[in-house]
Amino acid sequence: MSHAHAEGNSIESLERRTLEGRNKILGFWIFLGAEVVIFGTLFAAHIGLRSEVNFGPSGSELFSLPIVAIMTALLLTSSMTSVMAIQAMHRHDAKGVAVWLAVTVLLALGFLALEIYEFTHYVHEYGFDIQMSPFSTTFYVLVGCHGLHVAIGIIWISLLIGQLFKKGLTVVTAPKIYVASLYWHFIDVVWVFIFTVVYLMGKVG
Amino acid sequence: MQQAGHAQSGDQIKRSRRHEGPRNHLIAFAISIILTILAFAAVSIPGLSKGFVFTLLVLMAILQVLVQLAFWMHLKDRGHFWAILTMIFGALVVVYAVASAELWTWFA
Repeated sequence: MSHAHAEGNSIESLERRTLEGRNKILGFWIFLGAEVVIFGTLFAAHIGLRSEVNFGPSGSELFSLPIVAIMTALLLTSSMTSVMAIQAMHRHDAKGVAVWLAVTVLLALGFLALEIYEFTHYVHEYGFDIQMSPFSTTFYVLVGCHGLHVAIGIIWISLLIGQLFKKGLTVVTAPKIYVASLYWHFIDVVWVFIFTVVYLMGKVG
Repeated sequence: MQQAGHAQSGDQIKRSRRHEGPRNHLIAFAISIILTILAFAAVSIPGLSKGFVFTLLVLMAILQVLVQLAFWMHLKDRGHFWAILTMIFGALVVVYAVASAELWTWFA
């Protein structure tokens, strides 16, 4: 501990105190840059093909804005609670980190449950499956890709909570938690564009 | 023990200088909530032209994302040059892809 301290940089926060931690954060930003490209191309496909409904329902017939608003509220709040987890980490409050991360996971589970309900509702009530039309294909691939990211985030953050109980807050676990929070914010950033471009613009027509 | 206690308090002082606390993050949260409510309201108001609503929606989405990137993802803090660059390069590809899709469907 005193060695890490003597190494300098006590001003730096826990996640940036080692070279490994700093590299992990930089590497994760490069990964996020690639994620931007993945989602961007899926958005491009959806924007280009969203009016090709092939006798199936269009977005304005399909979408129900109240459920989208609830999903948005859940995900936006979960992004805020992961900020609170990092704030707790900077106070060296391991219990606070675990609690805020657990709240984040619970909100994410609520979001995912609503999304699964939404998809099954579309398929059963409207016959709107992935093969229905170019609109349905690009809708399910784009929104489903985001939902998959939410599911991965839930598993990832849950495992990190377990590791936190086992190992505590160290220069090894802190960068992992910081990077997971970056990932979670990114999931919310993508959702901002999804509710705007897919749902709100789809509702207008 | 005393040594550790001393280092701890020294840490505390330096930490409080570096970490801003929840205030800015809560402001970013409030801005995000307001922009989200405005976006949902914009599509519920009848009589607005589609072009106007779409432009407004895209601008508010970009603004909300910039606020979250700057505050929640710390891009406004020092030492984030390369992180900002990854986002700029990602955004360039997105603009290129979306513009291509738009042009393709206009002329198809």
